[in-house]
Amino acid sequence: MRYVRAEDRPPNGDAPPGRVDPAPMLGTWFATDKQSAGVVKLVLSERDGNFVVRAYGAATPEPIDWGEAPAVAYAKSVVSDEGMAVSATYDFGFAESLLAAYSKGGILVLDTFNTFKDGSGRSAYFSREFFHR
Amino acid sequence: MISRLSDRAPLNAAPIDPAPLLGDWLNYDATSRNIASLTITHGEGRIILHITNWGETTALPFALTTAGGEAAAFRAAYDFDFARIAILAYLNKRLLVVDAYTTFHDDSRRSSYFARDHFYLK
Repeated sequence: MRYVRAEDRPPNGDAPPGRVDPAPMLGTWFATDKQSAGVVKLVLSERDGNFVVRAYGAATPEPIDWGEAPAVAYAKSVVSDEGMAVSATYDFGFAESLLAAYSKGGILVLDTFNTFKDGSGRSAYFSREFFHR
Repeated sequence: MISRLSDRAPLNAAPIDPAPLLGDWLNYDATSRNIASLTITHGEGRIILHITNWGETTALPFALTTAGGEAAAFRAAYDFDFARIAILAYLNKRLLVVDAYTTFHDDSRRSSYFARDHFYLK
């Protein structure tokens, strides 16, 4: 078994589960900042056995529905099957957003890494936002 | 076009200054089983992340707004033949918070996993 750090190795010969269950993260998450200019809502769900995310961006009069994107669930270790983090990528054509989030203590912490592809001169930017169910 | 209000174009946009990211960063946790240290350099128009034994990869810097300015975060990835590790990091009051999102491509059945470490500038 190959590895690049100790964390990659199953401890004590424990058997890896083969799948990370996203169930602990499923549901609708709302931004704690009601004045957020970023992502205002995240829906994490399973569809036909696939883990998907649906994000909504702040806008007026209504949030912008980004649609569904495939998501990857992560556990806290190589031998855990309990999902506690998620990543997904949205390609809007004019921009791309990488979403990466982890849950802790009932809160979902979302980082977004955003780059523009439209020649508008807008800088790539990072955001960090908090969500509750 | 925007996907959210924070995408709106600024009156003036500046290039991202990578300076706050540059240097040798050491893990506060000397017993970490994840990344012990990393180095970020800038040269030939790109930012380079170097992790001991992992080698070099290009890092993309991010500001806090579409107006650019000082870098506040970066992303990078290492593609090994058995695993892919996305490195997503941000600065918080000179603390570098580094999240590693790892997925395995081999037949080991290891779970994809998330790991976080905190680094200070040497």
